[in-house]
Amino acid sequence: MSEYDLHSLILACDFRVDDVDRMWEWLKKHREPLAAIGAHHVVLYTSIWEPGRVLVTIGIRQAGSIRDVLRSPAIFEWFDISGADDIPPIFGGEVVEKIDLYGPSPEEHVGRVVVGVMSSVDDVSALMDKVHDGIERFKRSGVRKIWVYQALDDGREVMILQEIADELSAREWIDHPDAAAEWMSKAGFGAYPTQFVGRFAHLMSIGEQG
Amino acid sequence: MFVCLCTGVTSHVVNDVVANGAKTSKQITEACGAGGDCGRCRRTLRAIIEAHFNVNGCASETLSR
Repeated sequence: MSEYDLHSLILACDFRVDDVDRMWEWLKKHREPLAAIGAHHVVLYTSIWEPGRVLVTIGIRQAGSIRDVLRSPAIFEWFDISGADDIPPIFGGEVVEKIDLYGPSPEEHVGRVVVGVMSSVDDVSALMDKVHDGIERFKRSGVRKIWVYQALDDGREVMILQEIADELSAREWIDHPDAAAEWMSKAGFGAYPTQFVGRFAHLMSIGEQG
Repeated sequence: MFVCLCTGVTSHVVNDVVANGAKTSKQITEACGAGGDCGRCRRTLRAIIEAHFNVNGCASETLSR
């Protein structure tokens, strides 16, 4: 877990792009505007089953005004270059807990299967208790990591990223999630995207190497 | 979720606006400003309206506006 993980903010959005590689190349060439909004990491996940669908998370150093960050020209330009006519809703939150069920592993490991869900729950603290109580069941379902983020604008809103052993386990998880995974029921409802099942594709550090 | 990046309006606010009677994206804009600038969030606004009416078991004739 890096030094930023427990104190930084995260922006995340799930959307469709015309050309994933072109978007990533554009992001790599625009480290400066990303640094200007406080970004320290950008992670790209690509959907396994839906070509062109991506989940992008951007770690942000300082709280500042998240609304100012979202209004910045860099964000709009990013969606423009991605070919996204409709701007997707963006999750803005902070880490509640990162649970590595099998201990820490290298951050960058292309190909890992990830299930991402943005949703709302009744009570985040109660949810965390249920998750901890169900760790062994999660393991038996192939879950390796559970990263929980809570939205800044809505205390009941969460984003859950789960690393899962393989695609088959991810499909079984989507079809039959554990009872403790309360977040699964509201995925795809209203502003929330449907469950994202993808692979870790790229990680870019900003301000450290570039 | 931040729905309208131009105004910073969240889905929480839009949900309240819809619960209070807004049935179109235009009515949402009038109530809270979301969708009134670049307009690129209107698809999400409509998704929120549709979700609300699906849950409440009634349809609106103006959902697609």
